[in-house]
Amino acid sequence: MAGQACIQIRGVFKRYKTAQEDSLADVSLDIMQSDVFGLLGPNGAGKTTLISILCGIIPVSSGDVQFFHNGRPYSEHERKSRIGFVPQEYAFYQELTPRQNLDYFGAMYNLPKKRLQERREHLLQVLGLQKAADQKVGTFSGGMKRRVNLAIGIIHEPEILFLDEPTVGVDVQSRNAIIRYLQQVNQAGTSIIYTSHHMSEAEEFCKNIALIDHGRVIAAGGLQHLKAVHEVENLQTLFINLTGEEYRD
Amino acid sequence: MFKLYSSLRKELLLLINDKVGLALMFLMPLLLVFIITIIQDSAYKMVNENQIPLLVVNHDKGKEGGKLVDLLTKSGLFKIDSQNAIQQESLKSELLSRGKMIALYIPATFSAGLESNAEDVSGILMDDLGLERDTTARRKVSMPRLSFYNDPVLQENYSYSVMSVIQSYMSVIENSLMIERMYANMDIAERSGKLKDKMISNRVGIDQIVARNNNSTAIPNSTQHNVPAWTIFAMFFMVVSLGSNIVKERVNGSFLRLKTMPTTFMVVMFSKMAIYVVVAALQVALTFSMGIWILPKLGLPKLSVPDNIIATIAVIFISSMAAVSYALMIGAFAKTEQQANGFGAISIIIFGAIGGILVPTFVMPGFMQFFSNFSPLHWCLEGFYVLFLKGGSWQELRMVFAFLGIFIVFCQLGTYFKLRLERII
Repeated sequence: MAGQACIQIRGVFKRYKTAQEDSLADVSLDIMQSDVFGLLGPNGAGKTTLISILCGIIPVSSGDVQFFHNGRPYSEHERKSRIGFVPQEYAFYQELTPRQNLDYFGAMYNLPKKRLQERREHLLQVLGLQKAADQKVGTFSGGMKRRVNLAIGIIHEPEILFLDEPTVGVDVQSRNAIIRYLQQVNQAGTSIIYTSHHMSEAEEFCKNIALIDHGRVIAAGGLQHLKAVHEVENLQTLFINLTGEEYRD
Repeated sequence: MFKLYSSLRKELLLLINDKVGLALMFLMPLLLVFIITIIQDSAYKMVNENQIPLLVVNHDKGKEGGKLVDLLTKSGLFKIDSQNAIQQESLKSELLSRGKMIALYIPATFSAGLESNAEDVSGILMDDLGLERDTTARRKVSMPRLSFYNDPVLQENYSYSVMSVIQSYMSVIENSLMIERMYANMDIAERSGKLKDKMISNRVGIDQIVARNNNSTAIPNSTQHNVPAWTIFAMFFMVVSLGSNIVKERVNGSFLRLKTMPTTFMVVMFSKMAIYVVVAALQVALTFSMGIWILPKLGLPKLSVPDNIIATIAVIFISSMAAVSYALMIGAFAKTEQQANGFGAISIIIFGAIGGILVPTFVMPGFMQFFSNFSPLHWCLEGFYVLFLKGGSWQELRMVFAFLGIFIVFCQLGTYFKLRLERII
C-alpha cells in the first residue's frame, strides 16, 4: 500500500569506535511503501553505513529506526524475514554454481524446499542465468556475478529490498537487465532502497531520493520536486551543485 | 532441519571443490606415513634387532684383541666389519667414506698392556696372601686405551650406550686374564676355568618389563608411532582448507549477508565443524587402514588396533575437535587467505615438531619437553600412545581429555569473540 512509510529513520547518529567524526549525523528520513528510494552521495558520504544499519548489520550509536508493513511495526525476526539485501561485494560462494548458491541462501531465508525450487528456476530464467546455472560462479563475467548477487537477495520475495550499488562494474546490457527486472519487482510491491554513483541510472530508476554528504542528509524528497526547487535539468547537476566538485577520496 | 541440511550440503560442496585442501588432508598423511615409516623402520630395527654396524680395526699383536672382537660378534649386538689393514691415522676419513657411524680401534699393545696389568694385580694378591710367586722381572706395559670413533651426527647418548657395551665386554676379558694369572702364579693354571665360568656367566641380570595396562606384548614400532603421528598432523593441516574457507566467507561478505537473514550463525559454525570432524574421522580410517593392510605387505610392521574401541573413538573425536577448533580460530583471526594458509601451516609444523610428531618428545632436552605440553598435537599423540602402546584406560586418558578440552574451549572462545568484534555474530 503506497503512501504509508515502510521505514522511519529518526535522529540516527553513527560513529565507529576508532573514528574522530560521525559517519552519520542526525539522519531522519521516511521511506514510503512501494517506493524506489535512492540514497545518493559522494564516496565516504555514509550511504553504505546507513544501509548497513537498516539491514541490521551494525547498530546505531543513537537514534531510532522502525520498520512497518501497512502501518504495523515489524519485530526483529520479521524484519530479517521480510528484507532482502544485495551488497556491493559478490557475497556468495564462487566455488559453487548459481543453483547451489540459491539453494543455500534460500534455505537460510526459511523457504520451503518446493517454493525454493520454483523461485530458483524463475530467477535463473528471468536474470538470464539458466544456461550457466550449473557452472561455478567463479568462472562468470562481472555482469553475471552481479545478477547472481541480486538473485540471492530477492529469492524470498522480500517486502523491502536494499541494493548497495547493484550495477557497479557491469556492462550496459547487464545493467539494463538488472534495472528492468528491479522495476518489475517494484511494480509487484517491493520497496527498494538503492545506492549508486550512476546519476543517469538513478534518475531513471528512483522516485524519491536523499542526498547525503559528510554523514548528513543535505536534500531529500521527490526527484522531480528537488530538480524544480534547485532549478536544475538533471540529477547529476543537482548532485554537483549540492556536494561540490572537489575529490572525496 | 532443511536449513541444517542445506548448510551441511553447502559445506560439503565447498570441501569437494577444494582440490588442494583435499589433497593436503588425504594424500599427504598417506604419503607421510608411507615414507616416514619406511625411513624410521630401519632406525627402529637398528635398535630393536641389535644390529649396530661397527667398523673394527684390530692391530693387537696378542690374542686379547681377537677375543674382544669375538665377544662383540657373539653378542649379536653388532654387525662387525673388520678392516685391520686400515691405519689409525686414516681411520677418521675411512669411517666417513665407508658410511659407517662408529668404529673401534684396538692398539698393538692391547694384549701386552692387559697382561701386564693382570700380572701386577695378581702379584699384589699373592704378596698379601703371603704366597710365593715368580718374581722374575717382566717388561712393564702401560694399561692400553681403546679408541672409539663416531660420526658427529650420532647422538651423544647413543655413543655412550655403545661404549658402555664395549666396556662391559672389556671387563670380562680383564677379569678372565686376572684369574688366569693368579692361578698360574699358584701353579694351578689348569683349574682356572671353573672360577672364570662362575664369575663371568653368573652375573646379575636385568629383566626389562614394558609398562602397560593390559597383557599385550606388542613392542612399539615405527608403524605405531607414524600412523597416529602423521594422521594427527594431517588433521591439523585442515587449517589450510577450513581456515581459508572462513576467511573467504568473512572477506567476501557472505557472513555479513547471513547476518541480514533469519538464521543463526550457530547453524553455519555447527555445519563447518560437523563436516570437518567427519573429514578427520575419514583421515583416521584411511591411514589406519594403510597401517593394517598395506604397510605389512611392504614388509613393515602391522598396526595393531587398540582393544578399547570406545576410548579410541573418543580420542579420535577430541583430536578432531581440537584440529577443527584451531582451524576456526585461525580463520577468524587471519585477514587474508594467504595469512591463514601461511601462518596455519607453519604453526602446525612448529606444533608438530615440539609436540613429538617429528621426533619423540622423550629424546628432546628438558626445556623442550616442557614446551611440548603447549602443543595440542602432543596431547593428541599422547592419547593415541595411551591407546596403542599402553593399552589405554580412561584413567590414563583423563589428562589428554583435560588438556585438549581446555585447548578446544580456548579456540572456540577466541573464534566467538573475534567474530563478535567484527559484528558477524
